[in-house]
Amino acid sequence: MVDQPAARIPASSPARTRATGRLRLPVAALAALTPAWLIILLVYLGTTIWTVQLSLTNSRMLPSSEFVGLAQYERLFGTARWTISIQNLLTFGVVYVVGALVVGFLLAVAVDRHVRFESMWRTVFLYPYALSFIVTGLMWQWLMNPEIGIQATMRAAGWTWFTFDWTTKSSMAIYAVALAGIWQSAGLVMVLMLAGLRGIDADLWRATRIEGIPLWRTYISIVLPQLGPSIATAFMLLTMGAVRTFDLVVALTNGGPGQSTEVPAKFIMDSLFARQDLGLATAGATVMLATVMAVTIPILYARDIWARRRAGTI
Amino acid sequence: MRDPFPQSANGPRPDKVTPARLGLYAFLVIAALFFLLPAYVMLVTSFKSMEEIRSAQIFSLPHLFDWSAWIKAWSSACAGVNCTGVSAGFWNSVKITIPATVLSVLLGAVTGYALSFWRPPGGKILFAAITIGGFIPLQIFLFPMVRATAMLGLYNSLAGIVLVHVVFGLPLTTLLFRNYYASIPVELFKAARVDGAGFWRIFVSLMLPLSLPMLIVAGLMQMTGIWNDFLLGLVFAGRDNLPMTVQLNNIVTTTTGQREYNVHMAATVLTALVPLVAYFVSGRWFVRGITAGSVKG
Amino acid sequence: MRLLLPGLTALLLVSTAQAQDLTAEVAHSWTSGGEAAAVKVIVDAFTARGGKWVDWSVAGFESANAAYISRLLAGDPPTAKTAVAGPEVTELIAQGLMNDVDAAFHAAVPAGVVPQVVLNAITVDGKVYMAPTGMHAGNWMFYSKPVFEKAGIAEAPKTWDEFFAAMDKIKAAGLTPIAWGGQSWQEGIVFHGVVLSTIGDAAFTKLYTDKDLSVIDTPEFTKAVETFGKLRDYVDPGAPGRNWNDATAMVIKDEAGVQLLSDFIKGEFSTAGEVAGTDYGCALVPGSDSLITLADAFSFPKTGNADEDAAQALLAEVVLDPKVQAEFSVIKGSVPIRTDIDTSGFDVCAQEAIGLVKADKIVLDAAMTLSPAINGGFKDAVGAYFADPSMSVESFIEQYKAAFANG
Repeated sequence: MVDQPAARIPASSPARTRATGRLRLPVAALAALTPAWLIILLVYLGTTIWTVQLSLTNSRMLPSSEFVGLAQYERLFGTARWTISIQNLLTFGVVYVVGALVVGFLLAVAVDRHVRFESMWRTVFLYPYALSFIVTGLMWQWLMNPEIGIQATMRAAGWTWFTFDWTTKSSMAIYAVALAGIWQSAGLVMVLMLAGLRGIDADLWRATRIEGIPLWRTYISIVLPQLGPSIATAFMLLTMGAVRTFDLVVALTNGGPGQSTEVPAKFIMDSLFARQDLGLATAGATVMLATVMAVTIPILYARDIWARRRAGTI
Repeated sequence: MRDPFPQSANGPRPDKVTPARLGLYAFLVIAALFFLLPAYVMLVTSFKSMEEIRSAQIFSLPHLFDWSAWIKAWSSACAGVNCTGVSAGFWNSVKITIPATVLSVLLGAVTGYALSFWRPPGGKILFAAITIGGFIPLQIFLFPMVRATAMLGLYNSLAGIVLVHVVFGLPLTTLLFRNYYASIPVELFKAARVDGAGFWRIFVSLMLPLSLPMLIVAGLMQMTGIWNDFLLGLVFAGRDNLPMTVQLNNIVTTTTGQREYNVHMAATVLTALVPLVAYFVSGRWFVRGITAGSVKG
Repeated sequence: MRLLLPGLTALLLVSTAQAQDLTAEVAHSWTSGGEAAAVKVIVDAFTARGGKWVDWSVAGFESANAAYISRLLAGDPPTAKTAVAGPEVTELIAQGLMNDVDAAFHAAVPAGVVPQVVLNAITVDGKVYMAPTGMHAGNWMFYSKPVFEKAGIAEAPKTWDEFFAAMDKIKAAGLTPIAWGGQSWQEGIVFHGVVLSTIGDAAFTKLYTDKDLSVIDTPEFTKAVETFGKLRDYVDPGAPGRNWNDATAMVIKDEAGVQLLSDFIKGEFSTAGEVAGTDYGCALVPGSDSLITLADAFSFPKTGNADEDAAQALLAEVVLDPKVQAEFSVIKGSVPIRTDIDTSGFDVCAQEAIGLVKADKIVLDAAMTLSPAINGGFKDAVGAYFADPSMSVESFIEQYKAAFANG
């Protein structure tokens, strides 16, 4: 699933340096990483400290330095909307990430089968990514509106049983958001997978053809594992997108009906700018950040251990 | 139409029309319908009069094809007292997007390459931090970044907005390249090292050509993201460098004012034309089999 | 002598304009059709008096605020910024970031022509800090005359009982009774209209201006919540998430009977060629005889530049000029804050509103008295309640009350 750094010998390991007959620190590599380090330390870490610090103050419209302890966190978890937002994000995240991965993979495979006008298909599947959601959200709002959208059209055509009214039903609205999200992101997954597919060795394809392995099995058991890094990348990007989802919801349902499509990022954004509640916004952001770290760090660590163990066996 | 792409490695294009082939095209057509439905509604709406739009027949073709919304969106739609349409910020968007895309893709490629092949000390911590950074909603960075750019004297400048985009693009581009380089056989790298090539030499003459598909993907993603950004441009670019999305936002966003849906649709499509064209022409570089070729060569 | 004064000030200002650079960079969010045309009135008057207007318009409340606060933090604020005349400005005044326009205000506005509640809202420590452009009233009911005729409704309902009877008739006629915009900010506006009509002016002010939470525990408030909940029965299935203008289109097309919302929606009727009093009617929300008003105003950040201070004073004078006040509001669909202006250009709905302002029958919208955070909490609660018929009145009231804790 994830990348396999173990498949090669680490460049800076003793083995590697012995092979080249030199033993030195990769100075150029360190230098090349300086901008990334600077950005991480100054901007990302700096902002994080700023955020955590503000979440302990009573800041409203402007940053304040009046310390109030954990009062903002109490307020945060006492707000019904915040807890609902977290639940909604879980549902949305799973449906959206899995959906976009599956649809994107299928599209990539289809486009990769020597179809005519490949550029055209690729553009058709990728174009939603280029459009601002302020307006395309309105399109989906219309399409899913039971009175003027797809439902009304199908019923007018005689299929009176046809129902498609997700955006107006509290229980289904979050799936409507996920559907629009998949529509927007599947093309992106497609190009990522396509970049991976194009990297697969011609010999491998030839071998599977000679062996007479059915095409679907080739894709499932041979191609899919080869796409590991592409899938890992797509998964990470989609997950990041899901956690940060904000404008999609604003454009499509604005959090409604009721609070059925509210998400944490929208909560933070509303608190940050519209409600001028910096303290609450930074408390929300801190909780989000802590959650992400609590999930990400063990995964990265486990991956690393796993990779080292694999390396040890080679 | 002549196919501009080289033969795919997964076998030759079949000559015969088989049921499987038909199924493949049927799948593509159905998928395309799903993807194009909103675009269809958008386009027909842009050609309708407001009166016709109010009738809420969203799928119907316009009675009279009316280009005026497009002309208005491009050159005369008002946003506040500036009636310049979305064309006003076009060159500013170009001036922001090109350097920001190139720099952030290169930074991501170099960082991903260094992390992937060189394993420098602290590399794992750096990668973890970059990954986590990708989850933070960037709006939370706004106020501290304003303070920081103001201190550096870069607030309200082209350099400032480019820097901000490079900073925020780092997680995405690094992730793309680090994972992509993981799929490149390490033997290539080892061979280059044995030949005595150094860090930059391997990067420029081996890794960059090898990562062409990912350079394209990362380039497209960054270009789209930067081109479509509105909030950062608004806050950091300064009034002389405002990107065209600021004008787009002024045209399409309103809470209590009137909404000219036809102009909104046209303005949205016009603003997205540059990334759309890029998607279409990018296929030329979406080639297959470089890795395989290099290994054998 | 009084007649001479405005001309004289204008003359004086023209002469000072030659000496000074009266450039004002003005931040506002009035970017759409009618709004921009209204801003143009101010721009033209400002330019005519020697000012130079530099437009910094950003649509959307959130983006505009994000950009504005960023500029404050970077020490580079615009000369003026429009905002709701309320806590979002007073917080900046408390931080010492704003200039007052007290002198300009009193030079332009004779005593007694601005309603006292509005004057209170723009005054901090005895000084006027804002120059209001006009007021919007949130508790209006707009109705389709043909639909009322078709359903056999003689006149606009005056009480909630009459209202629901009328809605039943429209339902029976096979039409949608209420054109509902199912977004929480719109629902919040309607809810406050229902509250005012049920609890009355005094209690409304006690709750939303004086923050006296005991009002929420009264049976009247509970009644208001129940009445609001009853509106759900008269809404079509496509309502959730609907934009207000799409709802207005239903009334314009005579597919729905009424729309309950603020007077800014009148612009939508006029662009569709409908005339107030002829094609559509307007009345206050049943059971009310006061307006819930929300004043928009220019506010003036400290820029540390004397020329800009002068430009701020000039802008305040221009905005408060009776002619500008009238012209601006006719286009914007708002009500002027001055009661001493020529009202001939206004439509019947605005005439009625102006009459109420003159009679001092106005209460302040919660957005003018309570912080954006509290108002946001209201919207969350109201939106959740309207979307979920199974939510009890008690649990709604509890959530609504909790919003006050947002400070």
